[in-house]
Amino acid sequence: MATISVDHLSFSYPTEDGQTPLILSDISATFASGAFTLLTGPSGSGKSTLMKLISGLYPHFAGKVMAGTITIDQRPVSQIDETKRSQMVAMMFQNPNQQFAMDTVERELIFALENQQLAPADMMPKVDAALTYVGIEALRHRKLNSLSGGEKQKVALAVIIAMDTDIILLDEPFASVDPDARQLLLSKLVQLNQERHKTIIISDHDLEDYAPLIDNLYVLNATGDQLRLLTPEEQSVKLAHFKRSHTHQVALSAPDSSDEASIILHQLKLSAGERTLIDQPDFRFYRHRITLLTGPNGTGKSTLLSALSKLTAYAGSITVNHQEVSQLRSKQLFLQEGLVFQDADQQFLNVTMAEELALSMKNSQKIDYFKPKLDAFLKQLQLDQLQDQVVYSLSGGQKKKLQILEMLIMATPILLFDEPFTGLDFASLQAIMAVMRQVATDCQQTYLIVSHQLFGLESLVDYHVTLDNQHLQYVEELA
Amino acid sequence: MNPSLKFLLAILIALEISFTNVWMVNVLLAVIGLIIILASRPSIKRLALLFVVPLIPAVALAVAILLQSNAGTHFALVLFTRIYAYVFVGSAATLTTQVSDLVMSLEQNAHIPSKFAYGFLGAFNLLPKIISEVNIIRAAGNMRGQQLHFWSPQLYFKAILASLSWSENLAEAMTSHGFVEDAPRSYYTQIQIRWWDWGILIVSLALLQVALFGLHLQ
Repeated sequence: MATISVDHLSFSYPTEDGQTPLILSDISATFASGAFTLLTGPSGSGKSTLMKLISGLYPHFAGKVMAGTITIDQRPVSQIDETKRSQMVAMMFQNPNQQFAMDTVERELIFALENQQLAPADMMPKVDAALTYVGIEALRHRKLNSLSGGEKQKVALAVIIAMDTDIILLDEPFASVDPDARQLLLSKLVQLNQERHKTIIISDHDLEDYAPLIDNLYVLNATGDQLRLLTPEEQSVKLAHFKRSHTHQVALSAPDSSDEASIILHQLKLSAGERTLIDQPDFRFYRHRITLLTGPNGTGKSTLLSALSKLTAYAGSITVNHQEVSQLRSKQLFLQEGLVFQDADQQFLNVTMAEELALSMKNSQKIDYFKPKLDAFLKQLQLDQLQDQVVYSLSGGQKKKLQILEMLIMATPILLFDEPFTGLDFASLQAIMAVMRQVATDCQQTYLIVSHQLFGLESLVDYHVTLDNQHLQYVEELA
Repeated sequence: MNPSLKFLLAILIALEISFTNVWMVNVLLAVIGLIIILASRPSIKRLALLFVVPLIPAVALAVAILLQSNAGTHFALVLFTRIYAYVFVGSAATLTTQVSDLVMSLEQNAHIPSKFAYGFLGAFNLLPKIISEVNIIRAAGNMRGQQLHFWSPQLYFKAILASLSWSENLAEAMTSHGFVEDAPRSYYTQIQIRWWDWGILIVSLALLQVALFGLHLQ
């Protein structure tokens, strides 16, 4: 049982020239012991920063507290002994790839318990219980590197359960998790909150499903200077107002005979380790169409995009504009297609945003189209004021928008998107989809989009393909 | 054998043969190393590499000694066999040890600070990721019309940047899972040094002295 209170807190990442722009400015909040709190706010408002401050990772690893304090049960977080603190607070990170130190699931759990100085004889029962609680006994001996995003988050939750901390912080934990896994994780959290009285703070953009679960809803504004607890009325209005569009009602058409194939799969076999992901006799993606690809976590959607980009070996055949991908030279292949990586940092080649944009403009296949429009696009995406900023210091959402824009500018005939909408708030999501729609139409591009986030996508996509049980299939609805 | 002692033995052997000139002992050590390697059932490819790769420096050294100095064929032979002794003894130690066992043993038996032990383990687990990251960086370059060769500074800039952010993430991940520098930890797998671990170490070194002196006196 632990009460967290944030008292007039200001926090900054000092820049090299000695300035201290405030990420969080004079914010206050109290998270009651045993409460389930949802924290929301636009991308870049400082939700992750606040979480890491509560967990004690900051200012240890980055930044500086300029004013105010955070206390857990009236004791300042910075003064709590580190080992003690790790027994009080545990955190699940936004990026599932960034939370493990060991190689296998079991070793990671044991590592955490060893850190708590648990007696060796008590370890296995705890490991067993945690894995069973989350329902992932089957993953016990798997390599963490081979797990999908959703599976990794389940493992992360199992570690937290094994550590048995009073406070559980979750920083946009569902950003790369499919709806089923999200439901499962949420139900486990509710169970932990109700049965074991854990204090839970979770940040999320997607407010759906939370209405019956949470006690409090905090909203952090875009500039990070207002953290407000909504009244019960405001809370229910906000939650009711936020409805993911009722996507199951949206009908889409299926490809017809007039469609021309752009990417053809033939006897394609993709695998991860010993596991077969895709086994597909024949499949086509169509030219000048925007196709959405969905499917449960770990079914191989990212691996398919990776194989289409010659980054993963495959058996069988993949042709792009009638040329076999594995036989094309990378340079030739990437004149025809581009891949928007799931991790935005992987896309960047330069240091500042202006340099990034300049590189894309220099090598764009449709420079005449983009030259007059670039400024408007930047404005539309609210990136126009950030040109001198180092790309790695942008917020998650800003990185995503820049990354998509610079790949759109390249204007390759085919663009593959791997979870392009993660970490984007509502306004950013609307803006980036509008830009994508416009560019796709004007430049006659073919898109293949992998996304868990389905909100608003019906206005963007033409076709919907699902990947399940190793098979791709066109479906005529968004669900 | 206990991993820490095994590596200590390999290092002591390597040190000792660096300062002695008995080629037969080098051959003997290489053969013993090879037997241990074969017992661990390596792939044919790995075995072939073990023979071929040292051949280059070994031949180069031997030829250089023969042509450029007047140290004579004996010294050339010593250097040639010494390289193989290094490689086979070293491989005998590494191929028969799991990295995680070595790290646990270094932490528990050799008492090196745990942050080094786990930092090393973390870095080792990152190796396959670094290889795939380099491929991704080159693909990202190609997608933007910029070809990155292995001498392109940008490739290294990105790779180093990625490594830096991984190391930071790794540190945060370890901290969030309760790891505190220099704090006591408990160990699920206790790695012990048994009397026969010391026995193997001492007897091996003793035999090496006997062989070196015996052959030297001849």
